[in-house]
Amino acid sequence: MKQDCLDIGLIQAFMDGELDHSQVDKVSGHIATCDRCASMLSAAEDESAIVFPALEREFNTLVPTQRLWIKINDSIAEERANRPLWQKAWALIRIGMITPPLAAAASVLVIVGVSALMLVDRPAAIVESGPVTASVKTGDTPTPMSVAEMHRSDKVVPVPDHVSTAPATAPYRIERADYRPTVSRSVYAASPRLSPATAADRSNSYMPGEESYVKTIASLSRAVDAQKDNSMRGSERVSFERDMAVVDDAITKMRSEVKRDPKNESAKQVLYSSYQNKIDLLSSVSQKEELVASLR
Amino acid sequence: MFLKNRKLMALTAIPVIILSSATANFAQTPPKPAPMPPTSELMRFPKAPPAADPDGDHERFIKTDPAINLSLCVMEGEVRVNGWNRNEVRMLVIGGGNFNFKVQQKSQRSSDPVWIMAVGEAADTEKIRPVNECLRGDEIEIDAPVGASLNLKGQDVSITVDGIRRVSIKNAGGDISVRNVSDGINATTYRGDLTVEQSSGAMVLENTSGNIVVFDAGPSEIGDIFKAKTASGAISVQKISHRQLEVNSISGSVTYNGDILNGGSYAFWTSNGSIKLTVPASSAGTLTASYAGSFSSDLPYKLATETVSPGLVKSIVAVLGAGGNAALKLTTNNGSISIKKL
Repeated sequence: MKQDCLDIGLIQAFMDGELDHSQVDKVSGHIATCDRCASMLSAAEDESAIVFPALEREFNTLVPTQRLWIKINDSIAEERANRPLWQKAWALIRIGMITPPLAAAASVLVIVGVSALMLVDRPAAIVESGPVTASVKTGDTPTPMSVAEMHRSDKVVPVPDHVSTAPATAPYRIERADYRPTVSRSVYAASPRLSPATAADRSNSYMPGEESYVKTIASLSRAVDAQKDNSMRGSERVSFERDMAVVDDAITKMRSEVKRDPKNESAKQVLYSSYQNKIDLLSSVSQKEELVASLR
Repeated sequence: MFLKNRKLMALTAIPVIILSSATANFAQTPPKPAPMPPTSELMRFPKAPPAADPDGDHERFIKTDPAINLSLCVMEGEVRVNGWNRNEVRMLVIGGGNFNFKVQQKSQRSSDPVWIMAVGEAADTEKIRPVNECLRGDEIEIDAPVGASLNLKGQDVSITVDGIRRVSIKNAGGDISVRNVSDGINATTYRGDLTVEQSSGAMVLENTSGNIVVFDAGPSEIGDIFKAKTASGAISVQKISHRQLEVNSISGSVTYNGDILNGGSYAFWTSNGSIKLTVPASSAGTLTASYAGSFSSDLPYKLATETVSPGLVKSIVAVLGAGGNAALKLTTNNGSISIKKL
């Protein structure tokens, strides 16, 4: 038993999944080695086992009703969106017949708009791609222009004399304007369960074969973290977190042991087996989810 | 004059408005709404209250081949499967929905079914709900030929199987108890205990949260393996005559009580718990033990190598008893190992 035992509030928060990842790792690591805290967790788990079934009906009745309303509303919205074109037009005509000034104003607007379109949509003076053969003043420097700019300025792209032979026949490359800010984006490190072992693995070099384990665990962890809230009950979640803590603890210890004595084959085997256990543990969550889904 | 004639103006405006409406429709195509969920999904909610269920007792028989393969899925309840010496399958659902047998394959020789599925049927009052092929009921009793193979998927089911040939079970939650199965067991439960008695054949028993207890089991063919694995729970194995055993628990103790057969391979592992072996005094083999706590053996052993450095893992390689071809590999990361005489 350790002297610095956990607060019951912290244990409840751990059970309810309210702690962040670093706290979860800390708490689970402590529970794995402290009998008193493990028994407190077990007692809290027993209480949850009584409370959750009592409230299960409430949970189950609330969610379907809300979903039903959402689906009904979605259906109505889609029905409206999928209304045939002639129905929409007829609705507009009815409005127009009721309010003739509105119809007159709309028709004037349409006529003006169509005329403007016809004026604007004349054939452009230049071709967007293809050889550029226009003569330019000596000394002009070529500046790349976007197609929009070419339309707007309505002028020919300047090409210097010394590139008027071979490069002039090459297709003109349209360059995209650089509108993006130069602020470097931080890479999203998706590691929902950054165990001590994984953290250590990132800072150190891998042993032969270890990297594949770490990568597999990382990808499985992402998948499991996304679904474990739905697929596991309170008591199962606690068991899962406790087992993960045990396995993580074993991995951390064995890794440091192997680092200290690289010839310790027993520690290596235990390390690899612990990795495999972690993979199996994570896989069991997905397998259970698949089983339940297949029964629906 | 044109403006004064309102009717003429309105008639002129009609095609223009239609044109503008169509143009606007093409120009501003609204984002396509999410596709409607299938009708079955819509109908899934709200769930009919239990009081409206036409629960009752339903019983059916079907004549089958002696080596029938029976498949079914069960949502909830208690399932009892019993082997009998008749070439027919009887199924009784107590306090649940109606069901039927669907013949999947027939024997070319006898034209009797060799593979059937038991599927749930919606009652007349249940038409609003999707027809889930899984059975449901308070209790489900199945009598099947002793040569039958059972393939069962369950969601929250307590399962007992006795006296058939082969069993394959996957259960999301609930205990599984199997006995007198002659040719192999593959059982998984994600929450619940798993018990196997007096059975033979290859065995793969997996459990996420719960204990595994196996008593009196053996191979039906040479080379049949025995695997038992749990995450949170203890594993107790007694009187096993398989020659290849893999027993693995993450946070629980492992107990073995039985013979160490010559040429056998025995691997016992736990991350957080003790390993206790009780074996005959005459047991012999090569012992490899890795442990974090203590190691003790009532049986004589001769050390080949021993690592008791200040590290976390202590390990020994030793010749147990008079030596032999059996290989014992015992590993615990946080616990002790003890070998006692039977």
